[in-house]
Amino acid sequence: MEFAVTRFDDLVNWGRKSSLWPLTFGLACCAVEMMHMASPRYDMDRYGVVFRASPRQTDVIIVAGTVTNKMSHAVRKVYDQMPEPKWVISMGSCANGGGYYHYSYSVVRGVDRIIPVDIFVPGCPPTAEALLYGVLQLQKKVKRTATFQMWYRK
Amino acid sequence: MDKFIGLDKLARFFAIIKQNGGITGSLFKLFRQDDLKVGTLVGEDKYGNKYYENKMYFYGRSRWVEYADHYFLDYDGSQVPAEWFGWLHYKTDYLPHQDPGRPKYNWMSDHKENMSGTSRQYVPYSTTPPKIHSWVPPKAK
Repeated sequence: MEFAVTRFDDLVNWGRKSSLWPLTFGLACCAVEMMHMASPRYDMDRYGVVFRASPRQTDVIIVAGTVTNKMSHAVRKVYDQMPEPKWVISMGSCANGGGYYHYSYSVVRGVDRIIPVDIFVPGCPPTAEALLYGVLQLQKKVKRTATFQMWYRK
Repeated sequence: MDKFIGLDKLARFFAIIKQNGGITGSLFKLFRQDDLKVGTLVGEDKYGNKYYENKMYFYGRSRWVEYADHYFLDYDGSQVPAEWFGWLHYKTDYLPHQDPGRPKYNWMSDHKENMSGTSRQYVPYSTTPPKIHSWVPPKAK
């Protein structure tokens, strides 16, 4: 039985990891690199990563850029609208920890103060390659989850 | 004439199948790396990763790595060591063993792959006492 549950988990994880649909939350110059990732040279589509416009259809939110205090409400609201399971990629040093604007009066010092982050992609801005590597790291993380095993053991 | 009717494509197909180890070998490689290519083996690093080149493919796809067999499906970009990185990313056209200006010192450490997500991951820490006191949220009564 446990074997069956584990294999079922593997199947679900495979489905989830090979169709990670990100919500584009491009706030600053990092968004340009995010667009590069979508364009043919880096081509995120080959990993099943397709940008969606609505948070209700997405699995992962890529927070790309500086999160200001004014924007923080919108980030949280959009994150809450995403269906479970959901993941967060924080892209660039501004989203990771404030970065250049760490001491600014109007900037949130890291998006992890608002939403739980799975993958931090360092850089200012990170290359499209780095972001794609972050997506692959997230795929690895998704592959490790054990949703039904947890449910079965409980 | 071959080129005109497209027989060279057929020949290339058979060359690809042949280089990748027959039908079963090709299917295995297709499963493992989602791609079948034909090219010349230009080198191998000490971890067993093999590097190929074929100028027939477009710039950007003409150099590639096949990870060592023991990685199976858990290969990762960080398993390419630093000396091969430049060649693989078109930073230089010199192969690592042909490059004249490459420093080699005793103190240079071995390449390490990205361990994030495993028990050997890097965890940052601070050795200085914090200057600020964090807010302790009041407990609900």
